Amino acid sequence: MNPFRLGLLRAAIELRQVLRSRKDFYSYLSTPLIFLAVAYWRAGGDKGQTTQLVPAGGVGSTIFMFGLMTVPQFLFGDREDGTLLRLRGVPGAMTAYLTGKTLFVLATMIASIAVLLLGGTALLGVGLPSSPTQWLTLCWVLLLGIAAVVPIGAAIGALLPAREALALYLMPVMGLIFVSGTFSPLRNLPTWLQDVASAFPLRWIAQGVRSALLPDAAKSYEPNGSWQHLATLGALTAWVLLGFLLAPRLLRRMAARESGSRLSEREQKRLTKAAY
Amino acid sequence: MTTTVRESAAADGGVHDLAVRTTGLRMRYGQRDVLDGLDLEIRRGELFGLLGPNGAGKSTTIEILEGYRRRSAGEVEVLGQDPERDDPSWRARIGIVLQSSRDHGRWRVGELLDHFAGYYAEPFDPAELLRTVGLSAQADQQTAKLSGGQRRRLDVAMGIIGRPELLFLDEPTTGFDPEARRDFHELIRGLRDVGGMTIVLTTHDMTEAQQLSDRIGILQAGRLTAVGTLDELAAAARARSEVRWTDHDGSPRRQLTADPSHAVWELHQQYGGPIPGLEVRRPTLEDTYLGMVSADLAESTANATATATATAIRTETP
Repeated sequence: MNPFRLGLLRAAIELRQVLRSRKDFYSYLSTPLIFLAVAYWRAGGDKGQTTQLVPAGGVGSTIFMFGLMTVPQFLFGDREDGTLLRLRGVPGAMTAYLTGKTLFVLATMIASIAVLLLGGTALLGVGLPSSPTQWLTLCWVLLLGIAAVVPIGAAIGALLPAREALALYLMPVMGLIFVSGTFSPLRNLPTWLQDVASAFPLRWIAQGVRSALLPDAAKSYEPNGSWQHLATLGALTAWVLLGFLLAPRLLRRMAARESGSRLSEREQKRLTKAAY
Repeated sequence: MTTTVRESAAADGGVHDLAVRTTGLRMRYGQRDVLDGLDLEIRRGELFGLLGPNGAGKSTTIEILEGYRRRSAGEVEVLGQDPERDDPSWRARIGIVLQSSRDHGRWRVGELLDHFAGYYAEPFDPAELLRTVGLSAQADQQTAKLSGGQRRRLDVAMGIIGRPELLFLDEPTTGFDPEARRDFHELIRGLRDVGGMTIVLTTHDMTEAQQLSDRIGILQAGRLTAVGTLDELAAAARARSEVRWTDHDGSPRRQLTADPSHAVWELHQQYGGPIPGLEVRRPTLEDTYLGMVSADLAESTANATATATATAIRTETP
């Protein structure tokens, strides 16, 4: 069978696994629900501009978290348990795996974003774009944002040497979520922190999403009083290019380095640790 | 010119009876040669057992043959192709069963085998194969919930689902109980006898190697030190059979001999008839193997001592 069709099949099977397991289902659902809860709580009675920030920040954070936290964890887990090694010995299976994982991540991401946007509309009256132009903006920002973080996430997953490194890596990524203007206006932060955040994709994804969801007047809260679409396009495109340049090389290198004896070694270590 | 072509075609005919051929295979990690010019030939349709002490290079050899590891030097042909090329049509003819696996833990057994059948042009029927390995009852179970032996059998099923011409089995029965081991051996023999599969097996278990293998290769310090059938190996190692009997006074007697038949004939003459408590034990693979490995160790130690002494003498003489 065609490896891309097998990839589609893998995505369908893995999505079904999530739907079958209550624990998984709720853990995927929890991310958008937490963002909605925060938004609702901050809204209190009045629906100020800061309240409106939260669902938009939630969309940006969801993309960022899936791409840079979930994807590396998937890849890391599949390397640790021998899934990738198994697939390497099967014709066409690596292509199917990458196709399947991409589709799986896209589906779960889009589902989370949909919950967030529809929930925001229902609870707070903010959430969906209000004009065709804004819809268009939402589409390109989401597409570009996803393409900017998923390959980078895969590259990082291929580089992470051990479980400890994964934990260590996740901390600064979490930190970035709080300094990227997702939950409070970026201009309230010191300039140097704004500059740091601007080097990473989340700040741009979040700003782009705000420009698609909030009324035009809200742009006065942005660092220089405009939506900066051109800068967003530029920054995200640069990340997309970097990701597509790095990810295939690093994935190939990772696959080439895997072998049965490496796997057994790790397994041995895991069992020794578990014994203590 | 024409002659050359014909000659090479004729030579090819011979080569194609081989599933695996390595010449001068070398693998170097840093300063250490893990494989030191390995020459190995595995014939089509045979079950070849690769034995050797830990660190002798078994896993490295298998991984090079599987196309999982790049060699440092030497020639390797697996099913007529260099495994480093690793193209899909070649992959489809190879089956691999790794030592330890817990991959696809959340997939259901039947679903997983069905899915893997999809990668091959002429796979076995997954449901039938599941029956063959005795996992039909577990088809709807998650693979993570299988017992160790059941998981191994699933691994074998996944290794052969694509009807490979050549199957690599790395330490397949580690952690099996005797009954599971016996069933497993029957399954493996069936693959060779009915399916005509070439099987390369590495194991620590001498009894297993002896029961399953058509030919056995012994790998020591990165070289193949012996290769052949069990009898050939025993002969090469000058492993001796043991003849036991009971003497007139009831005491047990024991004799080690390279020619047990002759020894028994002599005993018959001596006793002028039946020999009480006669027992002839042929050398097992374990005897042969231990004989070879320890003899080699003794020899290399002796060599090292001799060299050291020679060096010492040379340094002393001005």
